[in-house]
Amino acid sequence: MNEKMIGAACQQSLPSRNASRWRGMDQRCKRMANRVVRCFGRMVAVVIAMASLLCLHPAIPAAADDADAQGQAALRAAVDRVAPAVVRIETVGGLERVGEMLFGTGPTTGIIVDPAGYIVSSAFNFIHKPASILVRLSDGVRRPAKLVATDYSRMLVLLKIDADKPLPVCDVVPRQQMRVGQWAIAVGRTFDGDHPSLTVGILSALNRVWGKAIQTDAAVSPSNYGGPLVDIRGRALGVLVPLSPQGADEMAGVEWYDSGIGFAIPLEHIQNVLPRWRKGEDLYSGRAGISLKGSNPYTGAPIIAACRQKCPAAAAGLKPGDRIVAIDDRPVARTVEVEQEIRRRYAGETMRVTVLRGRQRIEAQLELAAKLEPFQHGFLGILPMRGEQGQGVTIRYVYPDSPATAAGIAPGDVLVSLQGEPIKGRNELAMRLGAMEPAAAAEIDVRRAGTLRKLHVTLAQLPEGLPPGELPPARGSGKAGQPNRPQVGAIRLKVPEFSNEAWAYVPETYNAEVPYGVVVWLHAAGGFQWPELLARWKPLCDRYDLILVAPKSADSSRWMPGEAGLVDRLLLDVVSTYHVDSARIVVHGQETGGSLAFLAACGNRQMIRAVAAVEAAPAGPPPENDPLRRLAVYMATASNSAVVRPAASALAAFRKERVPVTVKNLGDVSRSLNADELAELVRWIDMLDRI
Amino acid sequence: MRKLFPLLCCHCLFFFAILGSLAAASIVDTIDQVQPKIVKIYGAGGLHGLEAYQSGMLISSEGHILTALSHVLDTDYVTAVLADGRTFEAKLLGADPRLEVAVLKIDAAGTSYFDLGKAVKVDAGTLVLAFSNIFGVAQGNEPASVQKGTISVVTRLEARRGAFETPYRGPIYVLDVTTNNSGAAGGALVTRRGELAGMLGKELRNTLNNTWLNYALPIAELRQSVDEIRAGKFVVREPETSRKPRRSLDLPSRGIMLIPDVLQRTPPYVDHVLPGSPAQKAGIRPDDLIVLLGDRLVASCKVLASDLEYVDYEDEIKVTVLRGQQLIEFALHAADGAKTLKKGQPQ
Repeated sequence: MNEKMIGAACQQSLPSRNASRWRGMDQRCKRMANRVVRCFGRMVAVVIAMASLLCLHPAIPAAADDADAQGQAALRAAVDRVAPAVVRIETVGGLERVGEMLFGTGPTTGIIVDPAGYIVSSAFNFIHKPASILVRLSDGVRRPAKLVATDYSRMLVLLKIDADKPLPVCDVVPRQQMRVGQWAIAVGRTFDGDHPSLTVGILSALNRVWGKAIQTDAAVSPSNYGGPLVDIRGRALGVLVPLSPQGADEMAGVEWYDSGIGFAIPLEHIQNVLPRWRKGEDLYSGRAGISLKGSNPYTGAPIIAACRQKCPAAAAGLKPGDRIVAIDDRPVARTVEVEQEIRRRYAGETMRVTVLRGRQRIEAQLELAAKLEPFQHGFLGILPMRGEQGQGVTIRYVYPDSPATAAGIAPGDVLVSLQGEPIKGRNELAMRLGAMEPAAAAEIDVRRAGTLRKLHVTLAQLPEGLPPGELPPARGSGKAGQPNRPQVGAIRLKVPEFSNEAWAYVPETYNAEVPYGVVVWLHAAGGFQWPELLARWKPLCDRYDLILVAPKSADSSRWMPGEAGLVDRLLLDVVSTYHVDSARIVVHGQETGGSLAFLAACGNRQMIRAVAAVEAAPAGPPPENDPLRRLAVYMATASNSAVVRPAASALAAFRKERVPVTVKNLGDVSRSLNADELAELVRWIDMLDRI
Repeated sequence: MRKLFPLLCCHCLFFFAILGSLAAASIVDTIDQVQPKIVKIYGAGGLHGLEAYQSGMLISSEGHILTALSHVLDTDYVTAVLADGRTFEAKLLGADPRLEVAVLKIDAAGTSYFDLGKAVKVDAGTLVLAFSNIFGVAQGNEPASVQKGTISVVTRLEARRGAFETPYRGPIYVLDVTTNNSGAAGGALVTRRGELAGMLGKELRNTLNNTWLNYALPIAELRQSVDEIRAGKFVVREPETSRKPRRSLDLPSRGIMLIPDVLQRTPPYVDHVLPGSPAQKAGIRPDDLIVLLGDRLVASCKVLASDLEYVDYEDEIKVTVLRGQQLIEFALHAADGAKTLKKGQPQ
């Protein structure tokens, strides 16, 4: 508003009759207008001045300062709210180290989940198997504790203390209230003092590690494993544990401590399993015993490729060829979804599985088991011819005293169909027959000189003997070299991620239609001379269609476990460049090289089909025998060898898992294989595609 | 009105300026106010993975710098670079090896500084800012790096001898912010309002659980030594670890014979109790498991033996045993045994 406008308003509202009178009025209007404006202006000025002064007053905090103060107060209040239920656990005795892993003696954390005195903690806190466990409650009182049971699926333990009065528990956040991005505070009680420790972050993800855990970016470490992850209101979201999607033991995931990724098992889940757990029942991950087809779990449809005998899936009536379409009420379209459903359940739980068999829709009740019977591959007793195109498998060789011999199969015969289904090639036959177990009945159609016969055989076990002195050739003589073929002869290999040197030999007569086996030779301490090695292996490679790969270790005195990755990379390179026979990929090593060979084979079940170790034993337990992925072992040791004992126990362990092991006695003195023995080993490799 | 309008405008602008500046107060202003007090220190190192740099803070207007005592100061040529890039030769005035703190002196005047007398105590949950030259990223006139975090817990480092590789045994602030990195030692830990709370510690491993510890020393613990160093009156006190009694206690003298220590961590079970001994009189029995010495857990025979090395032969000890599912505490005096032996009475 200004004087002009007020003046104009005055003028408009008053009729103009007498100019002088209006001029007077005009003046009065103007004065009035001035006074009003001045008053108004003064009022505004006063208001602003007062407001400014008030803002300067320190007693009124500014908005941002207030937020920080409130944040601090909220964090403290949240921790104070859960603190009475958080306990310190101290242990006496136990192991100090296992291998190279040193166990600390410090206190760990637990959380009371039941007023009667049940406490949950992380299984990591008890790996060292203590003699005694003491729990120190928030009020300082110490109580001895018993370990009631372990949840091996979620890596948690349940402890029990005697409580003369009901113990404080914390409030629990239901799963559906959790939101990614909400405050998450990790609470621990491992430091001296009465106040728990806290680290702050957010909820990063839900349903991690096969749906078992929630994820946070708060610092999670042995300083708070076993303690609660709480929300900003002090209610427990879950119990902190180290976890890893790749490993399954108590130590898995610890290497990620304080790294921005931490896991917690939702407390709501723990409350659900508590009734079973309280009874002292250890909880295990459930296994179904089915192998699904396809190498890419993210794109493949879940079709059953193999169903072990005496396992939950077989007991439920499922068969190879069935296609899983739903589990309980969840429709599943990919292999990974089936894996997710199975891996988050416990042994003993029942799953309703709906499958499509042809056009039929079948529902089966599957009760998951903790352990499966070791699987053993069925064996017919033949070696197939290689490099064939088209359907059917031509017999190259028949094993003496095998089901094939008993059925009258001879070299030259063609196997046309198995169980009524046509045979599409030797790899397909190997997979199908291998998925059947010894003592299973198989119906095979065989063609000889134009006539078709139907044979009934009972499968046997895979043989463990040494190969015969001579073997018939595996293929017809193919066309020699074609244009545009990859490098052959002696070549240097280089893998970008590793600095190791590596050589390879590809037979000069390489023919892309012939499947070549691959032997990765891992030398003993001291390295090797390539020309010498090449001279030893060249005739064998040429005769038996093998590609030799020979890397050198970075440290000439020993191989390091990390170099198993080098073996994987070299194999990937070779497989992508040459026509490789997937049934004959072998890692062969001596002494330290032999140990790495076992490690590489256990870590790469996808590709490696056999280990040939001279004077070496595996460091870890044998892998489970997989219906779809064969493993064969050759072990050569001398009686005075340093590894005699570990080799013997490894042998027993492999046989327990039903992995076939061929044993070669090197006599009294520890040594390498001589020329004849090497030739025998190569014949053993040549027989790895047996069916 | 023409006169009033500009006045009105000024008032409005003033009003919003006040509001605006207060809304941005706290962290942003704190950082501006603290950075000039942080010093980048360069010295010995650069070999075998030991870095040649760390951090410090000005604590007087005459150029006194508080920092951590480390290998970086193991040279006559220590350089201090201020936030504005001014470089000075720093002289080591003195150091307290027990606290692992040192005071340097540079020839500067009129610098802004922290008054140690105005330092505050903080507790768990407090929002803090850590100022330091982590990884030596800040060069020349680049200001130090700032990290925001929380106090995780206030605790003491006296847990177990050898558990932490530092002679310091007092209270520390364990931090929820990654300060356990090269170059952080000697940096400043302040509250959101810029009040000094602690000095960032050196890289330290917690062998009780095999993790690296992010921590800071409370200023209150350093104050006395720093003042004495500045006044030239500092006398090095021996670290507590060397205070063993001339004759330390052994359990057989109280009548307790433990089982043979043959396992990795043999639990200290009582094998048998000597007749007439203080242990027998107190009521300790064979198969009792000694779990606490005083208030401290003993995880194995070795730990119990090493703890007892610091207990005088004459002292009374309180021992808690686990018998079945019961915890029972006993007080064992030397007096009984010693007196009885001296008087020569039959046991």
